[in-house]
Amino acid sequence: MIEKILIANRGEIALRIIRTCKELGIKTVAVYSTVDKNCLHVRFADEAVCIGSGDSSASYLNIPRIIAAAEITAADAIHPGYGFLSENAEFAEICKDSNLIFIGPEPEQIRQMGDKIVARNNAKNSGVPIVPGSESPISSLEEAEKIADEIGYPIILKAAAGGGGKGMRAVREKSHLEMALQIAKNEALSAFGNDDMYIEKLIESPRHVEIQILADTLGNIIHVGERDCTIQRRHQKLLEETPSPFINDETRLKMEEASINLAKSINYTGAGTVEFLVDKNMNFYFMEMNTRLQVEHPVTEAVYDVDFIKEQIRIADGLEISKKDIHLNGHSIECRINAENPDNNFMPSPGLITAFHTPGGYGIRLDTHCYAGYVIPPNYDPMIAKLVVHADTRDEAIKRMLRALDEFVIEGVKTTIPLFQKILTDKKFIEHDYDTNYLEKREEIEV
Amino acid sequence: MDLNYLKKIIKMLDESNLAELEIEEEGTKLKLSKPRPKIAATSYPVQFTGQPVQDISPKPATETVEKKETKPQEEAIPENVVEIKSPMVGTFYAAPSPDSEPYVKVGSTVKEGTTICIIEAMKLMNEIESEVSGKIVKILVENGQAVEYDQPLFLIEKI
Repeated sequence: MIEKILIANRGEIALRIIRTCKELGIKTVAVYSTVDKNCLHVRFADEAVCIGSGDSSASYLNIPRIIAAAEITAADAIHPGYGFLSENAEFAEICKDSNLIFIGPEPEQIRQMGDKIVARNNAKNSGVPIVPGSESPISSLEEAEKIADEIGYPIILKAAAGGGGKGMRAVREKSHLEMALQIAKNEALSAFGNDDMYIEKLIESPRHVEIQILADTLGNIIHVGERDCTIQRRHQKLLEETPSPFINDETRLKMEEASINLAKSINYTGAGTVEFLVDKNMNFYFMEMNTRLQVEHPVTEAVYDVDFIKEQIRIADGLEISKKDIHLNGHSIECRINAENPDNNFMPSPGLITAFHTPGGYGIRLDTHCYAGYVIPPNYDPMIAKLVVHADTRDEAIKRMLRALDEFVIEGVKTTIPLFQKILTDKKFIEHDYDTNYLEKREEIEV
Repeated sequence: MDLNYLKKIIKMLDESNLAELEIEEEGTKLKLSKPRPKIAATSYPVQFTGQPVQDISPKPATETVEKKETKPQEEAIPENVVEIKSPMVGTFYAAPSPDSEPYVKVGSTVKEGTTICIIEAMKLMNEIESEVSGKIVKILVENGQAVEYDQPLFLIEKI
């Protein structure tokens, strides 16, 4: 059984993992960069190893240093969290070679879903509907034009090695294609070191709905409901909720079935999420599968009473998923509160937090690594906290979230709290009449 | 203490040039101070003294067990003495092999580029070279000790 876990991550997710480990009696090792000396995960872990300077490539993305840290602390497993190395098949492979348990799927499963073009083909082969698009990386502008003509504009260019919304460009007219391709390729090369691109039909007025999967090594594969992550800005999720207020039960069942089939087809093990776009006619299309835990997992934990970190560790230990019969209870919403200025084009706002009074009370969960006196470093993502509410109905959840946002005092840095207060009082949100372009449309109106 | 009231006062102080604000009313005393912003916070600047006392900072864990870092020496390092810090994570070895003499001892003279120790990680031995020419004043870690990035290893007096 795993006795000591090294967490190859930082911030709130590192803290999240440490918390479950503590409850399970598992020792924890935190790794940190020199700028993260005062990050909470360093304080809460049993041991901590400084692995490099602030630059991610020198620290949280530096495989040799992370493995070395596991060696000198005699950790027997590594939990990669989300982002950083969590979907890096090479890292998972090296962990294996170094006799370390990688808490996640097998390297081959990461590969099958990590390359977006391979993933699309896997989906197609297991009968999961995919967005019409190119079968392989586009080799030339001419090929791109030909495929775009076949599919029909509008189309979207996407990076094959991509994720997190980078290296993507929507194209509505043939005349814009050449320039968009150039820009997207540059962005992809810079973000992922790989400028292979593919084309998909751009789904109009889409909703983003994803299905959570849990699979152990003993043959159990279950879904744990869906999450609706339609409220986004530049393809970054801002607010997530479950159940989805948009899809009907028939669609829900089909999506769950499709996701389980996809997971089965690659013998998936661990926690994973299959992401779909759903159009206004309830047609759903596979987008990608994330072979790791999602940021927004707390909303699922609330309504299904699951501890995903515990399940991941169980699966890594070769045990059964502890909750095979899942029951939906109520509604949950999460707001990702970032250190950004919503009144100034979401300019990042790192710096010293001078006051930090957190919300509490019935039905509130707050996952945060921040505190009064903490300096948010500029080197990493701007997330301050994930504020999660749980209530009996969506309307109650909205009211609860508004109440909690009102209580949340953060001074010293700008935050996106005011943005959420606007969204949650907006009629369109309350009546779930929006798609992934909701915020962009609002920005146009507001200006 | 009414939270909205508190929020307003904090906002007022924040937006003003005042450094400190003290209010006393109906048996409650409120003192807020705003020091100059620092890049690295070493204290919790905004103090609330009132009813009830609100401690919003987390209590640092009772110094956690088994932190593998050696605390750097508290005395000031003289100007011509340089700290050689570990450029990587691994296990420190003073000698090329268990039976050999250590690379350096206290008092040894080294040139810039002289190998002064080995740090082993992932089964690879990495020779660590001195960044300066000088004399070894102090060896801060022990043979076989686990070291982290930036951990001070040697003190070298520049010649």
